[in-house]
Amino acid sequence: MTSESTLFSNRWLPVLLVAPFMLLIVLFFYVPIFQAFYWSFFLEQPFGGGSMFVGLDNFARVLSDREFWQAGGRTLVFMVTASSLAVLIPLILAVAADRKIRLSLPARNVLVWPKGVAGASIGVVFAFVFNPFVGILAPLNKAFPGIWAPGIDGTDAFITLIAAHVWSGIPFNFVILLAGLQSIPRTMQQAAAMDGAGPWRRIFDVQLPLIMPQLFLTLVLEFTESVTSAFALIDTITHGGPGGATTLLVYKIYKDGFSGYDLSGAATQTAILMVFVILLTAAQFVFLGRRINYER
Amino acid sequence: MKISILAAAAAVMAGACSAQAANIEFWYGNTGPVETAIKAQCDAFNAAQTQHKVTCVGQGSYEVSMQKAIAAYRAKNHPVLIQFFDAGTLDLMLSNAVVPVQEILPDVKWNSYIAGARAYYETSGGKLFAQPYNASTLLFYTNKTELEKAGVTQTPTTWEEVIDAARKLKAAGHACPFVTDGDTWRVLEQFSARHGLPIASRHNGYDGLDAEYVFNTTFVAKHLQNLVDWRKEGLVRLNADTKAGNYTAAFNAGECAMMEGSSGSYAASTKAFDGKYQITVNMAPMYKGYERHNTLVGGASIYVMKGHDQAEVDGAKAFLDFLRKPEQQMAFTAATGYVPVTNDVLDAINKSGDAKAAKYATAAIGIESMNQPPTADSRGIRLGFYVQFREIFMEETQKAYAGQQTMQVSLDNAKKRGDELLRRFEQTYKGVKLP
Repeated sequence: MTSESTLFSNRWLPVLLVAPFMLLIVLFFYVPIFQAFYWSFFLEQPFGGGSMFVGLDNFARVLSDREFWQAGGRTLVFMVTASSLAVLIPLILAVAADRKIRLSLPARNVLVWPKGVAGASIGVVFAFVFNPFVGILAPLNKAFPGIWAPGIDGTDAFITLIAAHVWSGIPFNFVILLAGLQSIPRTMQQAAAMDGAGPWRRIFDVQLPLIMPQLFLTLVLEFTESVTSAFALIDTITHGGPGGATTLLVYKIYKDGFSGYDLSGAATQTAILMVFVILLTAAQFVFLGRRINYER
Repeated sequence: MKISILAAAAAVMAGACSAQAANIEFWYGNTGPVETAIKAQCDAFNAAQTQHKVTCVGQGSYEVSMQKAIAAYRAKNHPVLIQFFDAGTLDLMLSNAVVPVQEILPDVKWNSYIAGARAYYETSGGKLFAQPYNASTLLFYTNKTELEKAGVTQTPTTWEEVIDAARKLKAAGHACPFVTDGDTWRVLEQFSARHGLPIASRHNGYDGLDAEYVFNTTFVAKHLQNLVDWRKEGLVRLNADTKAGNYTAAFNAGECAMMEGSSGSYAASTKAFDGKYQITVNMAPMYKGYERHNTLVGGASIYVMKGHDQAEVDGAKAFLDFLRKPEQQMAFTAATGYVPVTNDVLDAINKSGDAKAAKYATAAIGIESMNQPPTADSRGIRLGFYVQFREIFMEETQKAYAGQQTMQVSLDNAKKRGDELLRRFEQTYKGVKLP
């Protein structure tokens, strides 16, 4: 077997090749993160000039703030509902596309398109789609006035957000899951069919267990991404409203930092949110990742 | 030949240097017709003289402009002039990032600014911190055509009359008699000021950073509860209740018959109404039994930022002088509906023979509204992190409109969260005295 050192004759070459990318990550990820952690221990004046070390005061303030916990709770609800739907729906579509049902070929193509649309654009489109007067639910509103009012009713606004998020998550998860399904040897399916397994049984006993690595990957990515990627949608569809019903933590951080000039509070919440996401991902690997068999 | 060109170029450059020419930047946040008017002023300034060149940069909104200014100031890459809106007054006063305009331009007759505009932006020593630019105030707009159709011939002046008119409109089948967005500036600040009610203790913060919000105990609580009840009755509509999705758009389209709005939206309304409806614009309605006090100056003003060399400051001064010229202010007013806030401009308008023209309609009413007898609580708002408070107030009151909690609970929550902001502001600027 070739050892790794034989791939590159010069030991500095791989370092050099990685350097530009590492530089970008350091510059745009590690430096800001370090800054956020640093600021979370200071009370920072917006325009600079005066910053005062306050120890853990910022953490005490944020953790005793009801709004922080409410936004955190909303983030959790969004994470669980939106990410599971964002995996489940592409899974159903992928299984259907894999079965070569009618139109599965064009569907494979069409379902990838939303990947090319930016979050903010999706937000603008969905704001129209779910508009209570001109959107798809307008007829419902005509029949029962006021039943769909995302501008007034927080639950309706939350549903709009989830729908937009799930839609934007379809292409990537669909591609990954479909690739997983297609890599399953046909012979396995045929063998199961010969043993008398119907389509449903084959899905649950053959296909799903064999695409566990792909499912795990999409779930981990969805869970971590749902925490932050909702930002563009919230900013274009609901602005965190009505009545703060769609203010997820990531949006609250933006609002506190940029329109409230509370740099310290925003930095503190960023630090807390990041630790949470790291722990969550670690937990997923520890509890779920271990049980997954990557060998076929 | 070449040498002579070089020599000529060198001479030009030397001449330019000795004249202390400067390229300066001015950041503003407006869009639409107002942005067009601002750009026209920048071009006019650059055309009127050759010494300085101003580059006017639109940032899309007041908030974005401020966010970028903070980042730019920290990176020492900030503009000389920045426009910022009323709510950020105290944040900028204590920022240590701006120089009071009256200090930089001591010889200007600042007293020509009307008292209401001065009070909002001046220090306790009576020095103006910022030069009022696009000043506005709250006015009451009606769609006269629609009101007359419903049998309302007299424009309402009190809330009681507004609601009577709204009931008549509703009875006549009108779907949206009165529209508002429930914005903090409209329903809390301007309402409290003209009814003589305090928003916070210590005269809205003018007397010290230890102020606390009190609006949840004043008559404004009753008014806001009324808005909730009237909405249930179908008399009042919010942004989200309208097809247009926005109160000014709903009014301009004729969907809603009455609104409380900034004088700055007058130009857009008259343009939209042209040939279809008649518009009336008056001072904002009062409750019966309350004496009318002044409304606050809204809109935005221009600040001079620290950390620039003399040439750039000279350029900034020249641009500020240019913007203050009566003919510039008149053109800006005519194009936007913003209110001129210096007495000499009002005189100039009166002398122009155009005083009754529609384009100056908001000027006279706006000034009249801002010139009503003041109280110690109608000078303005000097509260820290106030931009964020405005959002908290909106968030909490929206819950009341949606029926999740009573208006009183909303206001109590908003007060509590607002006080936390004030205490953090006090701690952030520990030991700093109000200028």
